[in-house]
Amino acid sequence: MPECRAIAIVISLLLSGCDQPLPGPEVQGGDAERGRAALQKYECGVCHLIPGVPGAKGRVGPALHAYSRRIYIAGRFPNEPDTLTRWLLDPPALAPDTAMPRIPMTQKTALDIAAYLYSLE
Amino acid sequence: MSPVEPRPLPNKLPRPPGELEALEQRWQPPRGWRILSAVNNTYVGLFYISAALLFLILGGVLALIMRTQLAVPENTLVDHDLYNQLFTMHGSVMMFLFAVPIVEAIGILLLPAMLGARDLPFPRLSAYAFWAYFVGGMVFFMTIFFDVAPDGGWFMYPPLTSSEYSPGLRSDFWLLGIGFIEISAIAGAIEIVVGILRTRPPGMTLDKMPVYVWAMLIVGAMIIFAFPPVILATALLELERAFDWPFFIAERGGDPVLWQHLFWLFGHPDVYIIFLPAAGVVSMIVPTMARAKLVGYRWVVLALAATGIISFALWVHHMFAIGMPHMTASFFSAASMAVAIPAGIQVFSWIATLRSGRVQNVVPTWFLVGFFAIFVLGGLTGVMLAVVPFDWQAHDTYFVVAHLHYVLIGGLVFPVVAAIYYWAPMIGGERLSERIGKWAAALMFVGFNLAFFPLHIAGLLGMPRRVWTYSASLDWDIWNLLSTAGAFVLAVGFAVVFLDVLLHLRVKGKINANPWNASTLEWLPLDNYAARSIPRITSRDPLWDNPRLREEVDSGQHYLPGLATGERETIVTSPIDAQPQYLLRLPGPSWLPLLAGLGTAAFFLFLTVKMLIPSAIGGAVALLSFFKWLWQSDPAPSGRPHDIGDGIKLPDYMSGPRSHAWWATTVVLLVDGTVFACLVFSYCYFWTVSPGNWPLAPFEIPALGATLISCAAWAAASGLLWLANRSLRASRLAFHSALLAGMVLLSGSFALTWEALATSEAAPDIHAYGAVLYAMLAWQGVHVLTSLLMAGYTLARSWAGLLDHARRSTFDNTRLVWHYTVAQGILALLVTQLPRLAA
Amino acid sequence: MDDSRLQSVLHPAPGSGSALLDQLGTVMYVGAALIFLVVIALVIHAVLTSPKPADARKWVIGGGLVFPVIALSALLVYSISVGNAPERRGSDHTLRIRVTGKQWWWEVSYELPGSARSIVLANEVHVPIGRPVHLELATDDVIHSFWVPALAGKVDMIPGRTNHLVLTVAEPGIYRGQCAEYCGGQHAFMALYVIAESPDEFARWLERQSQPASMPTEPFLRTGYEMFFAGGCHDCHAVRGTPATATLGPDLTHVGSRYSLGAGMLRNHIGTMAGWIAGTQDVKPGSFMPSMNVYTGQELRALSAWLESLE
Repeated sequence: MPECRAIAIVISLLLSGCDQPLPGPEVQGGDAERGRAALQKYECGVCHLIPGVPGAKGRVGPALHAYSRRIYIAGRFPNEPDTLTRWLLDPPALAPDTAMPRIPMTQKTALDIAAYLYSLE
Repeated sequence: MSPVEPRPLPNKLPRPPGELEALEQRWQPPRGWRILSAVNNTYVGLFYISAALLFLILGGVLALIMRTQLAVPENTLVDHDLYNQLFTMHGSVMMFLFAVPIVEAIGILLLPAMLGARDLPFPRLSAYAFWAYFVGGMVFFMTIFFDVAPDGGWFMYPPLTSSEYSPGLRSDFWLLGIGFIEISAIAGAIEIVVGILRTRPPGMTLDKMPVYVWAMLIVGAMIIFAFPPVILATALLELERAFDWPFFIAERGGDPVLWQHLFWLFGHPDVYIIFLPAAGVVSMIVPTMARAKLVGYRWVVLALAATGIISFALWVHHMFAIGMPHMTASFFSAASMAVAIPAGIQVFSWIATLRSGRVQNVVPTWFLVGFFAIFVLGGLTGVMLAVVPFDWQAHDTYFVVAHLHYVLIGGLVFPVVAAIYYWAPMIGGERLSERIGKWAAALMFVGFNLAFFPLHIAGLLGMPRRVWTYSASLDWDIWNLLSTAGAFVLAVGFAVVFLDVLLHLRVKGKINANPWNASTLEWLPLDNYAARSIPRITSRDPLWDNPRLREEVDSGQHYLPGLATGERETIVTSPIDAQPQYLLRLPGPSWLPLLAGLGTAAFFLFLTVKMLIPSAIGGAVALLSFFKWLWQSDPAPSGRPHDIGDGIKLPDYMSGPRSHAWWATTVVLLVDGTVFACLVFSYCYFWTVSPGNWPLAPFEIPALGATLISCAAWAAASGLLWLANRSLRASRLAFHSALLAGMVLLSGSFALTWEALATSEAAPDIHAYGAVLYAMLAWQGVHVLTSLLMAGYTLARSWAGLLDHARRSTFDNTRLVWHYTVAQGILALLVTQLPRLAA
Repeated sequence: MDDSRLQSVLHPAPGSGSALLDQLGTVMYVGAALIFLVVIALVIHAVLTSPKPADARKWVIGGGLVFPVIALSALLVYSISVGNAPERRGSDHTLRIRVTGKQWWWEVSYELPGSARSIVLANEVHVPIGRPVHLELATDDVIHSFWVPALAGKVDMIPGRTNHLVLTVAEPGIYRGQCAEYCGGQHAFMALYVIAESPDEFARWLERQSQPASMPTEPFLRTGYEMFFAGGCHDCHAVRGTPATATLGPDLTHVGSRYSLGAGMLRNHIGTMAGWIAGTQDVKPGSFMPSMNVYTGQELRALSAWLESLE
């Protein structure tokens, strides 16, 4: 059956190209496309499964699909743009026992990433 | 060309009543499911081609999965472990289960008809080789479904494939799969070489043979010398894996590079074993399509032979990166470039032929044009890869992947599809569909180039071969995506070809077709017995030069129009000038080859998974089948000559160097001798890479005294057989006694040789020195065992009254093998003494 | 990481051996394209036009024999001269670096000038520009092949042998390389970087690399240090200046200063370090390092922080 599997994959690849993400919560000053590039550049996919980012299939941290509909960030803080940006900038400052380290990045980059995550419907 | 002189034909009309019916009756194929017991080349050839095409489809599906995986970067359709199995299987299946078998299969189907022979000289051998290949190949393929498929790449470099880095069965399955191909390739070589040299029609001297026949003759010879290195390499690797004999383990005196030498010493000629038949096919189709004689026949034949010879001097171009002196590399670089010259000669002969005629706008022409474009490009990139410094960059990248597919798909697959369309009327009486065929040609051409041209660029952008995925950041995405799209278009093209064949090809017994107006004998009216009568050949294009020939042959006016001996039979002619010598009586349908093939497959398969009892049962089935099959062979001479026409009277028995059996045994011994030569090469190789004295302390050179005594014992064993030969006519008792005494002495010589080797203080599982000594001993042991079995069989035949001074082929074969064994034993012992000369 | 063109035969580093090979390549691409077009034009012409007599001598000997012999001879002479370029020959006056292939990473060791000691690092080769560097190429397990396309052609690494490659890099830059001989499981992810820098920078880098790791003083880093031993990392890895001396895995003495993690797989920062440690088998399945999923989140961060501090 590898053939069927191969065909199924091709079809799903074609379809995923047509998937238009619906807008999630608005992030002031964030650019989703740049956010995606940043996620790729920082290789966040080592730990997270992130739809739309090639190779992002990590299982160290939570999967980030449908992030715009997620209720809590890291299971602790209500999911809203400000908190998410703060979380991205310095996770241990919000939750000292988290495994996610502080990855040095600019405020702007954090906003971009947040914008991308909220575009995941 | 001089006008055809009217001359009397060998046999007169009308033919006696019942002659044709008797011929048909004798050559009647088995009906229904019994068709599986057919041994006749028309059926075995079709089975063989179908099986090879099935493996093409299976290997192609693996390729599509790989191409889908690589369509986008960091894809996870398959994981690295499955991907590594996929590419190993794809390469192995395509090279060993498709490419080599399909060229042999086409030869088995076409050669007898092209030679005006009724069948190949050893029909049951072909059938056996087919069944061993088909069953073994299918099981080998199935390993991919059980996660035990080999994953070391199709050239299986140790130490990656040795037991330390590949524990488990995966590598063993590869070695097993190759074993079946080795069997069927050697069997094919025997059929091809003996068939071409001994069963040509009267008058078809070597320079009147169709170019395809020349190509196959050269390929047969190449198989004899190219397969032994890989037979030895696989045997050594299996010995290392099973018994820890360190041939390829550097810390213990072995060297992984030895594998590369042996593998490519096979692997590169193998590429031409695949390509030359395809070139032969092109040289047949081009003149027919152009309705003109091939321009420069002798040049083309010379080019084929030159390719065959040069191909044995190229193997190192797969190893330019191993770190070798630049002048060594340059020698092989020059040889690799030189092989482009015979290719150029052929291409220009084809172009000149096409120019000199009005070309038919039909499907085979379309595939030929596609072949030209793809093959020429593949040849040009081949020259680039022959350039040492360029190869340092391109080696092991997708550039090479692109190149080898251009050469193999362009050089083999397009001609094979052209051949399917061209010779389909010879099988089914009708052409396949022109419309569907042209669609297929267009789809395959576009698909192929889209699939493989971009890979050159991916390779130059740094993409190594055999990577299961790649990072998006390397800019290889677009080329891979294009390639994947092309692969699917190519697959559709193949599907269209197979659809056409399924829709339009119906195998018929009786065929009377020459739709392309071709010039060679396979377009005579044919039945299961091939042509009704066998014409004397006076030109290269008999059907063009004598327009009445088809009718004359079919009405039985040429040689052997009916049954002469009452059995299936074919005319054996002399190897150079094709003068009739005797009638070879051929066996009819039998289940024994099928049983022996199944038994052989079962023996090796169960042995690989260490199920000893089923393995022993398989081995016993195979041995019993061989024994029964052999017992029926070598029929008694009738003692009276048979008239085949024109007053030519032929005997129905031949022994000694003129007999087909002698030729076949000689072919096998040439193979064995080449394996032995490769063993000696391995011994010397270990010597040269050894850092200190050879043999390294504490090992010794085998004691001189014991060695000389062993040599004397071997020679005496030969002497006893000579005595047996002398007494065959005079005294049966003396014959039996000498043979029995010889068997005892041969066994004793082996024991003495073992003793002599033991004085070297080297065990086989310590150091490569001991390993290679004992490998020679083991190889010699195989021959001693074979000689003893054959001698025992000879005794049994003699006791049963089936062997005497006239009916003596069995004994002649035994003698050949026996004396060879003795010579090999003595040579091996002398080789072990070589370090004394250097000391 | 954005590596486009860093690993390309078609974008050689100026003045490197690859630049010479690139010229040779260009000559051949153009020559091959011309020959291809002519031959195909002849085929099409032959197929489509009405019959013309074809003289065997002119066609077969002229096109098939004389022309290839001339063209190939010229190519052979040219290619031998390119191949004789000195980069495959060693000399005693060059900087010696030993690169050892392992499934699936590279061990790189430098002989320190004026000392018998050598320092060991992994997956990146720093070279000073403008000075020949002699690479000794070997393997610890199966056959690998050292290939940095922008700098030089590939050289195999074969058990029982040491091969040689002399590189001279003219300009500072980063060049990517990848194992080119299939070496099992994760052959696809066995990459390395060659980092060419000015002689001063190189000397500073080498000086820093030759120092042992310093003991952490900050409590968080101290925790990370303890976690390294608590998790058994020292069973496979060495960190000079600490009790960790194992050599199964890469030496981590200055891992924080490296360009990549996991043999060229990941950019090196604290996030990828944590992800790599906890999810090795997800990132590089089949590699010999287990996913270290024994740490609490805080411990994992501390360990990653300590390793990243080893610069």
